[in-house]
Amino acid sequence: MSALGTATRLRVVELLRRPRTLVGLLVLPPVVVEMYGTALASFPQLPTLAAAPATVGRTTGALFAAAFLAGLVGLFQLLSARSGDERAAVAGLPRHTMLAARLVTVTLVAVAASVVTFTVLWLRVDVAAPGLAFASLVAAGLLYGLLGVFVGTVVPRELEGSIVLVFLADVDNALSSGLFPVELSVSLPVVGEVGVTDLAPLAHPQELFTTAVFEGTYASGHLAPTLAWMALSMAAALLAYSQSTGGSSHGLAGRVTDSLGRWAA
Amino acid sequence: MPNIPNNADSNSTAVSSLGDQSLGDSDSVSDDSGPASASESGPTNASEPGPTNTSGPVFTARGIEKTYSSRLPVVGRDVEVLTGADFELYPGEIVGIVGENGSGKSTLMQILVGALAPDAGTVDGDATVGWCPQETLLYDRLTVEETFELFGEAYGMSTERVRERRDELAARLDFEQFLEYRVDRLSGGNRQKVNLAVALLHEPDVVLLDEPYTGFDWETYLAFWELTEDLVADGTAIAIISHLISERERFDRVVELRDGQLHERAEPPQQARSAAHDSSSSSEEVAES
Repeated sequence: MSALGTATRLRVVELLRRPRTLVGLLVLPPVVVEMYGTALASFPQLPTLAAAPATVGRTTGALFAAAFLAGLVGLFQLLSARSGDERAAVAGLPRHTMLAARLVTVTLVAVAASVVTFTVLWLRVDVAAPGLAFASLVAAGLLYGLLGVFVGTVVPRELEGSIVLVFLADVDNALSSGLFPVELSVSLPVVGEVGVTDLAPLAHPQELFTTAVFEGTYASGHLAPTLAWMALSMAAALLAYSQSTGGSSHGLAGRVTDSLGRWAA
Repeated sequence: MPNIPNNADSNSTAVSSLGDQSLGDSDSVSDDSGPASASESGPTNASEPGPTNTSGPVFTARGIEKTYSSRLPVVGRDVEVLTGADFELYPGEIVGIVGENGSGKSTLMQILVGALAPDAGTVDGDATVGWCPQETLLYDRLTVEETFELFGEAYGMSTERVRERRDELAARLDFEQFLEYRVDRLSGGNRQKVNLAVALLHEPDVVLLDEPYTGFDWETYLAFWELTEDLVADGTAIAIISHLISERERFDRVVELRDGQLHERAEPPQQARSAAHDSSSSSEEVAES
């Protein structure tokens, strides 16, 4: 088996040995979906809402659950094994291999969280385009899984990292849900004038998701921004991870430990 | 500098081929092959070869500097740890690195293995390296077997060779019965055994050990020193960070990290090794280390 195969398999084994994480993946989605639905049920039927408030709440909650759970796993993937990764890197396991193994694990979790969340939602809401809706949930999960990896490397502590992720996901979801319209906009180079809401990472997956759920169509204009956010998160995670797992380079000597744990020219 | 072939899958060490390796900073390397002088005390004397070596150093560190800078702009302060440390290690020698708490021993070792980048200086060498860090940097939720599998992959070893070496080391350090245990369910001493065994798994040319026997019981402590004697006899170069005064006689050389630089200690090297077997260290000392 290749180094990537071994590393990935062992990452998944590690994850499966976290019973609380697995329970969370099963229990939290229905709780969050129903809580959001219940919370919004008392809202009046506003013309800006695409469906009944409770339905909109469940939909918004589903996206939050899939994204946040994947982000949390991404965060803890990094925190739990940072020191081990540092040593494995010194021993010769390439950092990109270790990061790839972690990203595969995060992807699996994003898919698993999306399956559970989507199933819960489907039982309560009539989903117009299930395939598209599920794919949008997975995209949101992947995006937050990568953001979780990034947060885990920048804020390498469980409590502080979790708090950052909770606030990020909460504010992001609130902004992108459209329930609380924000008129503020900023001017950015290349793209020009952009609404603050559109800068929220979940804004575009949210549009893809809700359009699929309520209209059964594909919101094509939101795919590219979603992919751009994922690419940006991937780059940030990669950079932060390579920084946080120590320097294999002997810097001024210009010599680097190679893949066999020995010094190389 | 050419790489030597990885000897991870070989029973023989590559030391004989290391002797003639040239080093990038060879102009600053002493050609002396005799034992280190007992009277030396200058900061660059930590690079003298051991008593049994006539070949060149297996690796060289020159002018290593490291300062830990505070991220707080006003209240924080920088800590200058290494200020131009030089170090050389020769095949078949065992060197003790001593120094006060906070003197920078672990920092030096992390720089030597490449886990930490120095602010200045060079580390040159051409050998396989095994590193046993002070903290057991392992994956808590993997079993001991899985840990060896992962690090064997990192070292580029075959599956069969990993199993052979794992079983050899487990027998030698007496943790055979724990191979299927998760690392986080091992006692501190057994975790440290695994930590050490991971460093030795690929039969490295150079072994850098940072207080490797913390938590060992007396029998394992003795087994550890027997193991190091065998490794040295096979030509492996070993550097050990140690706090135990009674162990100094086990080393060919002892270097002290003081004021950010390494100083050769005035230890009689040759008789020390033979006297090492008669060491009267107590098990309590091991536990306290």
